[in-house]
Amino acid sequence: MIRICQTAKKMGIKTYGIKTSKEPKAYYLEFVDAIIDFSDTSDEIPEFLDVERIIKAARDHKIQAIHPGYGFLAESPYFAQRCEDEKIIFVGPSADVIYKMGNKTIAKRIANRSQIPLLRGSQGNLKSADEAKYIAGRIGYPVIFKAAAGGGGRGMRIVEKPSYIEKMFKLASTEAQKAFSDSSVFLEKYVRNPKHIEFQILGDKHGNYVHLGERECSVQRKHQKLIEESPSSALDDRLRVKMGQDAINIAKAAGYFSAGTVEFLLDADKKYYFMEMNTRIQVEHGVTEMVTGLDLIELQLRIAQGEKLPFSQSDVKLNGWALECRINAEDVQSGFTPYLGIIDKIQYPRSKNIRIDTGITDMSVVTPFFDSMLAKLIVHAENREKVISHTMNALNKFWIKGIKTTIPFCKAVLRNRKFRNGDFTTSFVDEEMKKLYHEEERDEMLAAYLATFDYAAGIETDRSMYIDFEQGKNISPWVLNKRLRSL
Amino acid sequence: MILSRKKIKEAETEYIAVSEHDKKYAIRNPFGEEITINHRKVDIKILDDDRGFTYILYKRKKYLVEIVEKSQNKYTILLNGVSYKFTIETPISYKRKKYLQKNKLKSKVELVGAPMPGKIVDILVEAGAKVKEGEALIILEAMKMQNEILSPAKGVIKKLFVNQGDIVNKEDVLIEIEKK
Repeated sequence: MIRICQTAKKMGIKTYGIKTSKEPKAYYLEFVDAIIDFSDTSDEIPEFLDVERIIKAARDHKIQAIHPGYGFLAESPYFAQRCEDEKIIFVGPSADVIYKMGNKTIAKRIANRSQIPLLRGSQGNLKSADEAKYIAGRIGYPVIFKAAAGGGGRGMRIVEKPSYIEKMFKLASTEAQKAFSDSSVFLEKYVRNPKHIEFQILGDKHGNYVHLGERECSVQRKHQKLIEESPSSALDDRLRVKMGQDAINIAKAAGYFSAGTVEFLLDADKKYYFMEMNTRIQVEHGVTEMVTGLDLIELQLRIAQGEKLPFSQSDVKLNGWALECRINAEDVQSGFTPYLGIIDKIQYPRSKNIRIDTGITDMSVVTPFFDSMLAKLIVHAENREKVISHTMNALNKFWIKGIKTTIPFCKAVLRNRKFRNGDFTTSFVDEEMKKLYHEEERDEMLAAYLATFDYAAGIETDRSMYIDFEQGKNISPWVLNKRLRSL
Repeated sequence: MILSRKKIKEAETEYIAVSEHDKKYAIRNPFGEEITINHRKVDIKILDDDRGFTYILYKRKKYLVEIVEKSQNKYTILLNGVSYKFTIETPISYKRKKYLQKNKLKSKVELVGAPMPGKIVDILVEAGAKVKEGEALIILEAMKMQNEILSPAKGVIKKLFVNQGDIVNKEDVLIEIEKK
């Protein structure tokens, strides 16, 4: 939101933001030119998802274009269609394309027609567990069930042997139904320990396409990305050109325009397979901006207005290396559970090669209504080794008081030898990050000292009153002061 | 026996911080000029900066700290975003605790608790079944996700405390396993 407003301001576009009842004092409202107030609502539908209300507000204020961000509305064909109906520019692809690419079965069919490598699996959605068993028998185990309407790991189940097929088919369908109101699932070969590589593409409304290189997002937990980088150490120029061209081809075949992401799995033999296409700007778009020097939001807005892409593929230069850490309000020591609370203070480093996208300030409240991401730390340097060390420094200076975050986790990843060597896959977090996240033995010792100090100060304070009275002698005022001020 | 005041002071300026993994830090003289931890002299300072962050200065490095929880002698500390739990004892209370611990038998039973509130949608094992460490025992649905509850140890299922369809709270005991 803030990110979009900054670009719009630069381009001289007036922005409106929606004020919600869940977060009426949100920081992003300080960045918009005008506020549309939805905070009086008391109904069940979250304000951000109430399509008709947004459309009506847009008409009332004579708004010309809506940027859906990267949340739920960005991938809603219905919302895009409603904008099209009302002649409001939807900053993204057409409703038709969002629908086609949002349905993984249709997307795979399009990829297949464009001769993009696909994993072996069911042709379309499964009708029964028996059909699943038959196909799995043909392509060999392990296999994975996926929700046709899915994303974010929900509705996915890995099956290692035939005896589990029935149970897992049922589980995947139920979960898909609950999460996406669509129980259809399909099945494909499960690749063990792949890398997650995605290509950023751009297309205009005149049939011009470019790709902006890849991002590697293999550091993930339960399919939630935690650290992303661009480029990937797993790709050489030849593979980059080939995968990039395939990404463009699928976008072309779908009739795609705006910014989009084509996701691939890359196996240990450097064979790649099309996974899905995300029809929106993604959280991790910042790393691509850092290495290309482009403003993707600006390009999205220009494409939405019908402008042609101002450059061609040969103009795209990938410069240096960029790394992004997601700082989430999560307790990494107890299974990444959301950590709710008040952020007393936040302080982060500022420098030319560091970009921090955040909506958090001192006294921000972490509520259960929005996702747990507090900030994105994006660092750019001339190569991978340097970007890792600069990010480490930046994380050391990223101080948050009041809640637990993923900062210790990010530091542990950056210290890990396998990560540093580029030797990591989507199983990295499960395999390598089991230990406690402290840096050195001394960390625990220092923490023990603080606890002891505070405890002992309590006892000393109690006793000092007695000593005061008896001997007219006092303990250090600093100790008393320290004790009285709660830490 | 009546101890002199000097003796009381000496006796009580030593504390033992015991971590949740039973690691022991004997800290003498926490306010003094000569702080020792496990008999080694350390130069350690607790400071506040102008923004109101509290940090420890040790060997010229800064460590962001805060006390997130304390009740009597139990503490939870955040240091650089990582939490640590301690129980603070005096040498005498520590000795007593150790003695009591020694007399307790080592437990052979492992209780599997719910990691979050949710609904039991499936139970994959039955009483008497042999399980491996990491094997899925129960499917717990929470926040629209189907979570597999994995066995913490190798052993035999002794007792199931829940049925399919039950709603459980965080840390409710689901299964008892006899470790092998």
